[in-house]
Amino acid sequence: MLVLAASDKGGTGRSVTAANLAYQRSLDGDDVCFLDFDFGSPTASAVFDLPDAVVGADGRGLHSYLQGRTSEPLRIDVWARTEHPALRDRPSGSGRLVLLPGDRTGGEFPFAEADRHRFVDLVLRLRHEFDLLFVDLSAGRSYAADLVLAATSPHGGLGRQGNRWLVFHRWTRQHVMAAAELAYGNAGLVRAGAAMGHRPEVLSGSIRFVRAAAPDLESPPWSQVSPAQYVWLRQCEQVLEELAAARGICKARVLASIPLEPVLQWQERLITDEDVHDHGIAHHETLRAMRDLAQRLTDDEFWGPW
Amino acid sequence: MGGLGTPSGPVLACGEVRTRLLPTSDAVDERTAERLLRLRTDERVRLSRHPNRYAVSPGLLTGVDCRPPSVNGASSRVVGTVTARAVLVEGRVLQSSAHFSAPASGPDRRRPWGHYLGRPGCLIPVGRLPARSVAEGFLAGPGPHELDVGSIAESLMARVCRHRILDFDLPLTTVNTSLRWTAVPAVEGEATSVLFTKADDGLRTVALRLPHGTAPAAVAGLCEDLALHDWLLTTVAYALDGLPAGHEDSGLPKVLRSLVDHLLHLWMPRGHVDRTLHAVWEELDEHTGYSRQWNVMGQRIRDQLVLRAVRSRHQPSAWD
Ligand SMILES: Nc1ncnc2c1ncn2[C@@H]1O[C@H](COP(=O)(O)OP(=O)(O)OP(=O)(O)O)[C@@H](O)[C@H]1O
Ligand SMILES: [Mg+2]
Repeated sequence: MLVLAASDKGGTGRSVTAANLAYQRSLDGDDVCFLDFDFGSPTASAVFDLPDAVVGADGRGLHSYLQGRTSEPLRIDVWARTEHPALRDRPSGSGRLVLLPGDRTGGEFPFAEADRHRFVDLVLRLRHEFDLLFVDLSAGRSYAADLVLAATSPHGGLGRQGNRWLVFHRWTRQHVMAAAELAYGNAGLVRAGAAMGHRPEVLSGSIRFVRAAAPDLESPPWSQVSPAQYVWLRQCEQVLEELAAARGICKARVLASIPLEPVLQWQERLITDEDVHDHGIAHHETLRAMRDLAQRLTDDEFWGPW
Repeated sequence: MGGLGTPSGPVLACGEVRTRLLPTSDAVDERTAERLLRLRTDERVRLSRHPNRYAVSPGLLTGVDCRPPSVNGASSRVVGTVTARAVLVEGRVLQSSAHFSAPASGPDRRRPWGHYLGRPGCLIPVGRLPARSVAEGFLAGPGPHELDVGSIAESLMARVCRHRILDFDLPLTTVNTSLRWTAVPAVEGEATSVLFTKADDGLRTVALRLPHGTAPAAVAGLCEDLALHDWLLTTVAYALDGLPAGHEDSGLPKVLRSLVDHLLHLWMPRGHVDRTLHAVWEELDEHTGYSRQWNVMGQRIRDQLVLRAVRSRHQPSAWD
């Protein structure tokens, strides 16, 4: 399955959350590949703790591959190369975890028809080796998003694969409106996809929203604020829920809400069992939210033509 | 052109084989195999049924005029064609294989294309060929702007995999392997030899010294067979590696069934290898212990199946 991580705005938590999902699935035994298409701000190497591994990515990264400058995009075995202390010993029963980094220098660029073919060939080839492929797209209706949209259309080459979109947003008015616009707006994914041959109801059924870094009012510190603050927060929450529903982001389309996590606020990283249970630095709720979301990616109950 | 090391023949042959599970839920029948591999209209797909079902596409030629790979950056130039073909074994495992052979020297100036096209699968050097450096460079992988035979094999693979009859509903995840090989004639009086290495990311290299007169196409066939069996071992070992060591409650893991349904019957070394090269397989097998490892793994799978069957008969399941 192809999981496409998108967001309208930058800094939503898309890359960090997607990397955590990839990590969780590989812990569960799935073979997972993470493709860093976030050409504007590649962060995957930081999240997976691969400081030196990506130095070699110039000229061999995904940009170079898509533009036909190399026939073999660089692959980095995360379990073997990571410097994250908790990840060095690959747990038994875990699956492969491989990163395909972008070139370090590159940025966004428009794609040609040949690039789409190369993308399709790459995904088909990776399908043999991996149960799940994550694609981290840059913010907005980027060139990369268009490329993927075209490739996954019924005649694009990947139309018959299971493809699922995650639209990440923060839990604020501006972010909610922007996320809805990215999915359903005039220049959004569904409209653009329809123009490329997607069936709108099918495409729409494969898009779900993820609230990243959303404060959970029922747990600390928010549950311990003053009564006046709490009431005010609840009202804001209510207004936001209504706004989201009015823009098409109804409850059924929200796949998960990842709590605001201090550890992630300070560092782009994977949240491990050790962080929660041994070091006590990350919240149990964060880890659980990541795990649940990771499971829901392939749970058909959460996906459908609505 | 004659065989390796003959007076008018090549002094070097190089190739790459890529091996994958055919991306379908089930093995395909002979008719489908034929449709998949019909890459040219003017030539037929070769089919054989013994000792196993085996289909070979017509050869495709790719014209090249470039620098060959080299270890010491020696600048040289080769012109001609690389030949590639796709192979489908038992309707289940897909291989793409590309290779070329090259003589020790060619005309000092580049000739018109016509000169080169008469010898399909042959790359002719402009001047002398630094054969040793090219062979070593080939195994190390192409540098920028050097001949990339792997990418020729890969685009053929991709072309077959794009076929609409393939559902990509793969029964298990596997490892994609590439096997790069070089063959040079053995020194007169010396035995043939084979040097096999395994690297990360499914890359294997094979350096061969073979009897004078060995046809490059026969070497390519041998290497396809090596690649197939190396892939089988790699894939089955990988699947067993992730298997829980017999938890009481676990039912029959899907992966065990998939191995039995799709892969275990494919082991048939030398099935389609030229007789003169059988000894190479045997030598390699002696070094790597491939056949023994395969037998052990096969036995382990069967034991697991028997154990699980016995257990499920004697233990009331949680649902009773
Ligand atoms: N659940 C969370 N709680 C707190 N901070 C978070 C959370 N998730 C992500 N962050 C932080 O938010 C910042 C932005 O996250 P990230 O880089 O993943 O966003 P992005 O959407 O990929 O941004 P860009 O558009 O720049 O690629 C990072 O510092 C990250 O560590
Ligand atoms: Mg990012």
